[in-house]
Amino acid sequence: MRSLTKVMAASAVAALALTGCGRADEETPTDTAGGGASGAAEAFPKDALIGVSLPQKTSENWVLAENLFKDDLAKAGFKADVQFANGGVGEQQNQIQSMVTKGAKVIVIGAIDGAQLGTQVKAAKDAGATVIAYDRLIKNTDAVDYYVAYDNFKVGELQGNALLEGMAAKKPQGPYNIELFAGSPDDANAQVFFDGAMSVLKPKIDDGTLKVTSNQTAFNQAVTQGWKAENAQKRMDTLLSASYASATLDGVLSPNDTLARAIITSVKAAGKPVPVVTGQDSEVESVKSIMAGEQYSTINKDTRNLVKATLEMVAALQKGEKPTVTDDKSYDNGVKVVPANLLEPLIVTKANAKEAYANDPTLSKVTG
Amino acid sequence: MNKLKEIFGGDTRQFGMIFALVFLIVLFQVLTDGLTLDPGNVINIFQGNSYILVMAIGMVLVIIAGHIDLSVGSVAAFAGIVVAIAMRDWGIPWFVGILLGLVIGALVGAWQGFWVAFIGIPAFIVTLAGMLIFRGANQWVGKSNTVPVDESFQTIGAGYLPEVGPKTGYNNLTILIGLLLCAALIGGAVRNRRNQARIGADVGPASVMWIRLGLITVAILAVAMLMASGRRGTSLPISALILGALVLLYGFISTRTIIGRHVYAVGGNRHAAELSGVRSKRVNFLVMMNMSILASLAGMMFVARSNASGPFDGVGWELDAIAAVFIGGAAVTGGVGTVVGAVIGGLVMAVLNNGLQLLGVGADMTQIIKGLVLLAAVAFDVYNKSQGRRSITGLLTQNFGRRATQDTTETVKQES
Repeated sequence: MRSLTKVMAASAVAALALTGCGRADEETPTDTAGGGASGAAEAFPKDALIGVSLPQKTSENWVLAENLFKDDLAKAGFKADVQFANGGVGEQQNQIQSMVTKGAKVIVIGAIDGAQLGTQVKAAKDAGATVIAYDRLIKNTDAVDYYVAYDNFKVGELQGNALLEGMAAKKPQGPYNIELFAGSPDDANAQVFFDGAMSVLKPKIDDGTLKVTSNQTAFNQAVTQGWKAENAQKRMDTLLSASYASATLDGVLSPNDTLARAIITSVKAAGKPVPVVTGQDSEVESVKSIMAGEQYSTINKDTRNLVKATLEMVAALQKGEKPTVTDDKSYDNGVKVVPANLLEPLIVTKANAKEAYANDPTLSKVTG
Repeated sequence: MNKLKEIFGGDTRQFGMIFALVFLIVLFQVLTDGLTLDPGNVINIFQGNSYILVMAIGMVLVIIAGHIDLSVGSVAAFAGIVVAIAMRDWGIPWFVGILLGLVIGALVGAWQGFWVAFIGIPAFIVTLAGMLIFRGANQWVGKSNTVPVDESFQTIGAGYLPEVGPKTGYNNLTILIGLLLCAALIGGAVRNRRNQARIGADVGPASVMWIRLGLITVAILAVAMLMASGRRGTSLPISALILGALVLLYGFISTRTIIGRHVYAVGGNRHAAELSGVRSKRVNFLVMMNMSILASLAGMMFVARSNASGPFDGVGWELDAIAAVFIGGAAVTGGVGTVVGAVIGGLVMAVLNNGLQLLGVGADMTQIIKGLVLLAAVAFDVYNKSQGRRSITGLLTQNFGRRATQDTTETVKQES
């Protein structure tokens, strides 16, 4: 019977402990609710927890971002919780919930799929945390506070300008024959890049300086399914044989480096001189190509600057100040217009490649 | 000490899984400074894993019957995207959407069940094909885009019980459900005992039953109170409520109905079962069909929780569900396993995952640890069986006062 008493005692203790737990938390609802209502604008302790939830560890950029966030948050005195969601959206959802539970004051999210995190960012918001969408906008929720990213429209503009400058350098007088390429239609950014570029090119097309020989000027004609190099190459092959039997191709608008190289490959295979081709992403192969004088330009969107801007935002929030916002009109996520801090991307040609990549351990070797 | 053994059903060592769960909870509770049993976190664990656990319920039946289903993630994603698009483009209300999803699950399941049961292709192959077919179908239907769902539908994955009645500092409905569940358990156990006594069966000392019930009741009430004391507006998640209802339903079906016993019989020894008059083809067909229906439900719960259906929903879910089932004591050879065991196995994984996330352990280490735990859990069970003890599975069933399953498995084993 003695053991029975022990068990009874043990379960009684357990019961007490557990119910005690419940009662202790009785106060929390009012507390957190109060904090949530006014929390966004209030300062928080200097050593608060900052959560950073990143997508799958698939590219160098994300690994670099992880290290920068870890080091720089620690340097600034915050407690950092930086995690990757290699297991997919479900894992990222649970990660964000865990950060909320741990009482993170700011949660920075590089979403795997920006449309699938509504419930979690709402929970974060309700718990009084500030949510910053990093690089990818979080959609269909009013619980996202800020958006930090490179200005994609500006990327397009820079590409358009680079195309014009590059062609002018080769042949001072127009008209120029050009072709247009866009990214994948299922990527929201592809349209923005194209619109940005067309904001520069369209007036020139209208006044006759530029001639799109194939007449394919609409976004849905210029798209490259899945951002795939092979699709761009096939389309370029077709365009060359259809429209450039006698005409010279002066320039091609390409939305990124992979497609730019595919386009150059196609032109070379057709035995034509390489036209002015734009790009984006600063891929190693393209930077080499630029140094060799083939591809004309690329865009540098330095992860270091993006992380830096995010950390400045966190620092401002910590002091209870309003963080820098450069655009409070453009980024409608379906429910609200998210105030955004947009960084200026940098156009890189052979002329400025050396200084542009001076801080980059891999690319500085290529340019140096 | 004998009493303790009886309470836990014979041999304390065999009670490993529940101990493992309790151990993990206590361990993480200490390591995370009390965050693990924070009301919000308990709610998160259930809300963030209910869909996996729902699939584990279907998967354990598939595995008991001696099959496997690799297609659940793809089927879930397919049902999710069709429902999301149907609701967006045809404007059908949420409950019609859910019905549509279940019908899709049933059709997909009938397709797979047909090949498995009537053509005789191994389920591994059929569902490997299904994994490809329905992933492709998901991306084809949704054009690889993410399709949002409206708020009414989000309740089944992200909703909570409403606040009703007087302000008690707790969510009243959650407490009420906890109390009702306890009352039902106690009532059931008492009645069961009375029935057994009436037919002259050995019922054991009453104190054992009461202490066992006491422990379960304390556990249920503790969870209920934790969930009820979370941030205002949160309480028992609807997804956990769905899970609970399914556990009760399938626990009952698998242990107390003819079809449930037939699943064990077919999985244990198909020929013996057929000779005893079990229509094994029908059992296989139903088991596969049921799995796809539950996978569709899980898919919809995930879509609701995510507020949208995406092209990569469900990737890797089959492995989570299968891991839960095997940690829960099922045997690869079939014939052994319980619904409750699978859910507890899933919870072990869920608590482990959650605890590691709270500790800020990276995704890479988390996967390594989860892999080791899976291996250790199954090794423990295999070792126990090789020592001539009953599997953990039998114990769990016993613990719930239902000897039926264990008896069936024992009989089947003897037959084979």
